[in-house]
Amino acid sequence: MPRDSAPSPASVAMDAARPQSAHAHLAGDLALVAETMGLYRLDDTQAATLAKGLLDGDAGTAAALMQLGLTAAALAPPPDNPTRPVRALALTVSQTCNLACVYCYASGGNFGGPDGRMSWDVARQAIDTLIGDTPPGGGVKIAFMGGEPLVARDLIHRAVRHARLRAGMRAVAVGFSTTTNGTLITEQDAAFLAEHRFAVTVSLDGSRATNDRLRPGRGGQGSFDRVAAGVARLSRHADRIALSARVTVTPANLDLDDTISALADLGFSSVGVSPSITSPTGRGALQPADFTALLDAMIRCGDSWLEAVLNGRTHPFANLATALRELHQGRPRSHACGAARDYLAVDASGAYSACHRFVNDPLGKMGDLSGGIDHKARRTWLDERSVERQAPCTRCWARRLCGGGCHQEVLHAGRPACDFVRGWLHFSMSAYSRMIEHRPDWFDEPG
Amino acid sequence: MGDAPKPLNRAATTCPPAYPEPVLGNPASTLMESGVGNCYPGLEFDLRQLDVRFFPGLTFEFLGIEPSGPDGTQGAHLVNADVESDPIFEEDAGWLGTLKQQLNGPEGAALGDGEWYLHWVEQYGKRIALYDFDVFQNAVHMIPYEGETCWWVIRSIEADQDPDTADLTIALTRRDAAGQPVGNPVVLRGKRRRYLDGEGMIPDVYRPGELTASMCSPWTHDFRDCACQYWASNHPDIVLGPVRGPSLEDGTSSDDPAQAVTFIDWMRRRGSARDVSVASTLERARAEQYDPYEMNLRWQELDFVLQGEETDGTPTTPPMAGLRHAYASTAEVIQDLTEELAPLEFTLSMVYLYAYFSLRAPDEVTSDQRRAWPDLADDLRAARQTLLSVALSEMTHMRWVNQILWTLDRAGHYPEGGYVPVIQPFQPAYADPVTGLPPDDLEARVRKLRPATLSALADFVEVERPANPLDSEYAGLVDHLRRNPGTYPPGLYELAVRIDSDGVQHYQKFRNIRELLARYEAHPLLVLRDIELAPADDAAVKPALGHLQDIVGALKDGYDAEHLDDMPRAEACILRSRDAMRAFQAEAERLARGDGVKGLGIPFFALWEVPKNAT
Repeated sequence: MPRDSAPSPASVAMDAARPQSAHAHLAGDLALVAETMGLYRLDDTQAATLAKGLLDGDAGTAAALMQLGLTAAALAPPPDNPTRPVRALALTVSQTCNLACVYCYASGGNFGGPDGRMSWDVARQAIDTLIGDTPPGGGVKIAFMGGEPLVARDLIHRAVRHARLRAGMRAVAVGFSTTTNGTLITEQDAAFLAEHRFAVTVSLDGSRATNDRLRPGRGGQGSFDRVAAGVARLSRHADRIALSARVTVTPANLDLDDTISALADLGFSSVGVSPSITSPTGRGALQPADFTALLDAMIRCGDSWLEAVLNGRTHPFANLATALRELHQGRPRSHACGAARDYLAVDASGAYSACHRFVNDPLGKMGDLSGGIDHKARRTWLDERSVERQAPCTRCWARRLCGGGCHQEVLHAGRPACDFVRGWLHFSMSAYSRMIEHRPDWFDEPG
Repeated sequence: MGDAPKPLNRAATTCPPAYPEPVLGNPASTLMESGVGNCYPGLEFDLRQLDVRFFPGLTFEFLGIEPSGPDGTQGAHLVNADVESDPIFEEDAGWLGTLKQQLNGPEGAALGDGEWYLHWVEQYGKRIALYDFDVFQNAVHMIPYEGETCWWVIRSIEADQDPDTADLTIALTRRDAAGQPVGNPVVLRGKRRRYLDGEGMIPDVYRPGELTASMCSPWTHDFRDCACQYWASNHPDIVLGPVRGPSLEDGTSSDDPAQAVTFIDWMRRRGSARDVSVASTLERARAEQYDPYEMNLRWQELDFVLQGEETDGTPTTPPMAGLRHAYASTAEVIQDLTEELAPLEFTLSMVYLYAYFSLRAPDEVTSDQRRAWPDLADDLRAARQTLLSVALSEMTHMRWVNQILWTLDRAGHYPEGGYVPVIQPFQPAYADPVTGLPPDDLEARVRKLRPATLSALADFVEVERPANPLDSEYAGLVDHLRRNPGTYPPGLYELAVRIDSDGVQHYQKFRNIRELLARYEAHPLLVLRDIELAPADDAAVKPALGHLQDIVGALKDGYDAEHLDDMPRAEACILRSRDAMRAFQAEAERLARGDGVKGLGIPFFALWEVPKNAT
């Protein structure tokens, strides 16, 4: 970037988003009270009051909030018992994959161990435990993960039939999902996934060129055509399959606009992107300098999303939609996700882990099928991982929105992307301000 | 700077659902009428069906009398005699071998031909024939017992403990066209079947569905035309319907404020018309109900019934919406119960009681009045009974509030000083500092002792209206107990739910009274006694106030005794207070009737008033 040109939107957002106070943040005319996640529209005078207070850190911010009639709540302690009953389970049905993506958290599907498939006994026992621990009238979610789950197609079929039978006998509702690379999907698979109302997430990194470079087969051949064929089969059941794409952003595919339009052309109505922050091989992870470029790309996508939605159209970029709904819900978080809280993964050996990314990882071990779920470990782990106990987070205005970040990434790579996350949330708050004014009805639509 | 900004998002306006999990099972406070009427697992099977296979190898049916009259086919009719389908013959008792030979031999062959009936049963030397004898014109005529009577006899056969002895003998005979036993009997020896095996299981000889075959099917026209009322549970008849139309804050509809509390017929024909209050008799209701086959076609419209209300979907309002209180601590709970809720219950019970004594008794209706107003005595009786029932209900609440308090104390939740029984009215409403007059809002008016005039009744209706702040007093308590599981002694939560959910009907009851008495609006003295509230120091009401003091004293002693778990003393106190209540009631009636002079109303609250000269 030439030196004399204006700073990029990402640099501006990141600058504006640097923590000044743990109590509040100001984005344009929108104030966020950090602890309660209340969002308030301020007039010019009020905004000036808060901006001035923010310059004086926590004390000045607390005083400014009080002057506005708002309260700077102190950081609440972590919840007494952060766990909830386990109601979602990822079955790592296949610890192998037909692709060899460079950045894969599962190291090519096997999580750094030998290739493996889940046995029927392990799957059955895990499902029976999940459903048996759920009271009649409740609901569970079962996710089929890998590796590439469809390598274990027969097991998925059997597990789904079994889960539906067991759940039916216990009056428990059961929902299924899977995350797949899309290359192995046959007509029969698509019909099966539709019959059981699967939510299917296809991992895909962009246009043909990008995708074939980042997501080669084990023999090095490109995968795009096979994915496109698989997606086409799934799209034919669009009424019964909740289909979305997930893009892993690496230094090699920062051109998100192109990626999203390429995926929209393939038939996806929802495309989410997530930065690659850790990689077992060290390859494919974003470096600090990449995050500004990524945020610039995301802001561009966000702007075109806003342009479309404010004019009554739709746009596939899912990240902004998700952020807006989170802002609107305003539920303060203690953790970034449900891992270990109400969600666990089970691997081919029958070991439970905090989530599908912790398979084979001693840092996320949560018991096993023979000894049962280690509830004490869940509780201790979640308590330690809660955002209230994370040193940099307690000083950050975005803590209740972000929840402290992905546990697996934080444990392995720390928090290299906080400025990026805050910059994105800062942008999302501005977007919220416009949406709540011009499209309040959008928030009533099912997300 | 102006008002504090309001949040744009849902932060702080929504809390996570109090129930992330479905509620399991019924709490201890569940009453029969709060069950899910049409899917409640009460009676799982028809006991009578067990006895159709009381004798190994044989299956009977118990035939009743046809509507056209006895035709000789009533009784215990043999349906089947078959060794193969009865697993009991796999056991190895000697008598089973003999019985098997009989059933596979000539006896079995005989039973396979024609219609056979059980003739007599004999056990331990006692024989009972399943026929009555009628001697007519020197001829013996035998009258077969009907099926149900035969079943009673079979029920009385004992299950002998010794597995090797055949202690039971039965005889079967055929019948002629007049129902008279004919031909040679088949006599079999065996044992009564045991209906549960060693593990408490019903044996395999009973086929799936056999034990319920005689029962009605829910959601079919059985629901409508059931004549025997032999239901697996209470089958819904009248229900509170889902509220249609825009819903107001108080939970009623703007179209018809009574909709939420009007009982309607569960089997009513659904349509576009407004649901009307249920008819008072089965015959009158019939016209509005589904026809039998219509019901089979439209069974989906018959909603589940929960807590007496039809539920046709998932509730959309959070269960604890509009809480009066969110308590921060147990001390706050105790303070609120002591200073607000117990006095509220006591005050309302006394206010309703005063209104009760202000109504004429049915026997005060003169014969002239009876001629002009034939329904007057009945209306008065109904109004008085209803008022009294609501007053009693408020007294029960007061006791429950005290029970919550002493339970909290026993579990160590009380601040210093410990539990002291709370039986006292509210302080009189504060006077307006400017005018010096007491306020005339609803809350102030319902603390005053007033005769049951139409305007007083209108206030009572308002106070008891569902979702009126006074009606939702206990929601905060329920919420507090729910949010702190494990903190409080068992049973407390159930008790709070019980108080909170009790009382929906007060509103309807007061509406009914008001409707009943409104027709006498132009002649209030037909309804009301001519009474006036006596001054606190009136000597005439001294005895009555003395009785009231005794009642309160005895109840306080009783509550205290229960608090200390001294049940004998508590019972003695209850008896004492009952005696005082009877004396009080007689005295209050006497004063209110007046007997020729103006009647007197008792100033109940005088007992708690600070004497004027003391201030």
